This record gives sequence, C-alpha cells and structure tokens, in this order.
Amino acid sequence: MDYLLNIVPTVGAGLQVTLKMFVITIVLSLPLGILMSLARISKFKPLRYTMFSYIYVMRGTPLMLQILFIYYGLPFIVEGLELSDYPAAIIAFVFNYAAYFAEIFRGGIQSIERGQYEGAKVLGMTYVQTMRRIILPQVVKRVLPPIANETINLLKDTSLVYILAMNDILRITRSIVQRDFDTTAFIVAAIFYLFFTFILTNFFSYLENRFAVYDE
Amino acid sequence: MSFIQMEHIRKRFGSLEVLKDVSLSMEQGEVVSIIGPSGSGKSTFLRCLCQLETIDGGSISVGGEVMVSQPEGKNSSVYASPSKVRAICRRMGMCFQHFNLFPHMTVMNNLLEAPRVVKGMKDEEIMPIAENMLHKVGLWDKKDVYPSRLSGGQKQRVAIARALTMNPDIMLFDEPTSALDPELTGEVLRTIKQLADEDMTMIIVTHEMAFANEVADRILFMADGIIEEEGTPEQIFEHPNSERTRTFLHSMLRF
Repeated sequence: MDYLLNIVPTVGAGLQVTLKMFVITIVLSLPLGILMSLARISKFKPLRYTMFSYIYVMRGTPLMLQILFIYYGLPFIVEGLELSDYPAAIIAFVFNYAAYFAEIFRGGIQSIERGQYEGAKVLGMTYVQTMRRIILPQVVKRVLPPIANETINLLKDTSLVYILAMNDILRITRSIVQRDFDTTAFIVAAIFYLFFTFILTNFFSYLENRFAVYDE
Repeated sequence: MSFIQMEHIRKRFGSLEVLKDVSLSMEQGEVVSIIGPSGSGKSTFLRCLCQLETIDGGSISVGGEVMVSQPEGKNSSVYASPSKVRAICRRMGMCFQHFNLFPHMTVMNNLLEAPRVVKGMKDEEIMPIAENMLHKVGLWDKKDVYPSRLSGGQKQRVAIARALTMNPDIMLFDEPTSALDPELTGEVLRTIKQLADEDMTMIIVTHEMAFANEVADRILFMADGIIEEEGTPEQIFEHPNSERTRTFLHSMLRF
C-alpha cells in the first residue's frame, strides 16, 4: 500500500503530458477534419485528389513514423526548421487524426440524402448555409459513435510520444517498473487510462442522448 | 411577356435526352398541372425551373426577369449571375415527393430557418407569419414536434407551410402525394386546393388525375420529353386528341 501511494503521484505526473497532447489534438484535429472532409468531396478536382493522397499517406504510414519524421526529418527538408518535442508531436498527431476524422465526416456527409440539399437550396440557402445549418448538424449525430472510437484511440495513442522522450504516463510507468522490478505501476497506469476512457465514454453517451431527441 | 416563360427547354443526362424542346408560359394566378408516365421528364422540367437542374438549351424568365437565355445562333444556354438566379428562385417555393423536411429541427424551426438565414429576419418578425402558415395547414398544435413524429400527410403540409413562410409568388409541387398512403392524400390535396383558391400561381406534377382535373386551369400531358398535348382539363380528360394521351388516361383508370 505504501508502495502504491508512493508511485501514484509519480505516474500522475505523466498525466500532464498525456492530457495536454490529448486535448490539443482533439481541439485542433476535429475542425481540421471537417474542413478536410469537405475538400475531399469537393467538386474541384485538384483539391479532391490532393486530399485523397494526403489521407492515403496519413493513414498508410505509422503515426510513430510521422512523429519521427517531423521531429528528425523536417530540419533536413526545411532548412532551420527544428521543432522541439511538444510542437513536433502535436503537429504529427493533429495531422494524422485530422485525416481519420476527415474520412469519418466524409462518410457522414455522404450519408445525408440529396433531398436535404435540395430542400435547403429551394429555400434559397447557399452552400455554406446549407452545410452549417442543415447538413453538418445531422452528420454529427451520425458520426458520434466512430468519433468516440477515434477519440478513445487518441487517448491511448498519446503514449507514442515516449519516442521523443516525452514523459507521459506510460513512459514514466515503464521507468518505474524498470527501476523497482515491480509491475504494479502498469496496473496503476491502466487505471489512469481506464478512468479517462470512462469519462470519455460517458461524455459521448451524453452527446448521443442529446441528439436522440429526433429520429431520422 | 408571360409571368413564367420557359422556352425550348432541353436537358440531357449523359446520353439520355430527358427534355426535348419543352415550352410553357403561364400567367400570374394560373394553375398548371403536368401529368404523364414516369420518365416522361415532367419532374425534370419542374426542377429546371427552380434551378435544381441546369438546362442545356432554352430560356427561362420569371416576372420579366431573365434567369437563363439562349443567345441567337448559340447551341447552349447562358445563365444570369448566380445572385440574380438566386433572387429569381427565391420567388418560388417547392414541395417534394419526399418532403425533405429538416429532421433535426422542430416543425417551427423548419419554418423559421430559411427566413432566418436567407433573409436575415429576426425570429419575432417571422413568428407571426409562421404561425399563420401553420394554422393555414392545420398543424399549429404540432409546432414543437420533430418531423419524424408526423404522418406523411402532415409532413407534406409542414413542407407547404415552410415554403409559404418564404412568401413565394409561385409554388411548385413535384408529386406531392406520391409517397403518401392513399388515405392521407386528401388532406394534402385540400391544402393545395386552398392555395389555388387564393390565386397562387402553381405548377403541380401529379398522378392524381381527379385532383388535376379539379384544381388546374390547364393540363400538360408530357411523354418522352415533349409536351404531347396541352389544354383545359375538359379537353384533356374528356376529348384527348392524341392517341398517347388516351392510352395513358386509360391506363390510369384501368381498374
């Protein structure tokens, strides 16, 4: 018990890195993902194809590789652009997750019946008004379950930042285990993760319930 | 010049020529009903008027304002500026076969939304108009309900009220009762009839022959992308000239 009380604050210190990565990535990648999904289905071909290739690359290579590339590789390509660990990790996470979110939103947008666009159009709404007021609010309801999936994934994926020697929950835990030859710290870390996924799960079911006021 | 003037409209989808030189001119307050077999182009024709389809050839003007024209000697049509096209379309209200209500909004918000975002009106300005329209279609008590809770007939009446809240000069109906259970068509048709009695200019694409007969000043029978026959309800239903019209009408009354 003493041992537990001893390591919990240490593991907890890694929480800051984990949560910071998580919150910043979510806040930036969700809106970016929506914009990318619109570009992905744009009638303007160069934009559509560019976005297609972008998503292909982001989903087709490991996130860890992308983190390493931005941290170590970028300075070679753009002279003098050396990013420290935080910005590098955040850029990699945001652009990677935005690609996944873009595909989720694209699926949601394309699942909305054409009649909704036509209904809005004959009432005189512009494309932007139609998207903002009619289409996207309905898309949000439909994509909540996959968005919840990705969000929970992200929380756990933040542990990849250990590769840049950033002290998140898991990296600290590992060092405790290696130092003490005791795996209790792993369980502590698991409980931390479970606690936050519990919050996320509840948050998303709250959102789903809010959207349940209407059926389609 | 007529109030609505559509001349030599041509429209193709790929290799399929859906409209081959269709013309229609209407005066204000007139009710025209378009009948004809499926695939004859009647819905497409209506959709061309409100810009849900762009035309390949021909011209359209409404209230003297040119929306699209075909320059002399040219083979295709040229549209006016997008803002002008939009302004002309704003004079029209459209009701669809599948209603296209916004499912994430209550009935009241379905009515308020377009005046709000398109005309920039304040809710308290729109409210009296919307209330009036909901009373007119007999659905005031449903104002806070989401569309999924309504019957098909009620949905279509809300759609009509929604279109009317934008204060259009012209109402277009694209098979407004085709998706409804037979016992629900009456309430919708009565609402449309009421509009006709108030001298609303209307074009109604329909399969309800008895209704077309009753409400329309003029009937257009379309087949294979052309107007096969045109005339008063009496001419079309009692004394059709064309063999195609006779065959069609006969098939509609087959039982």
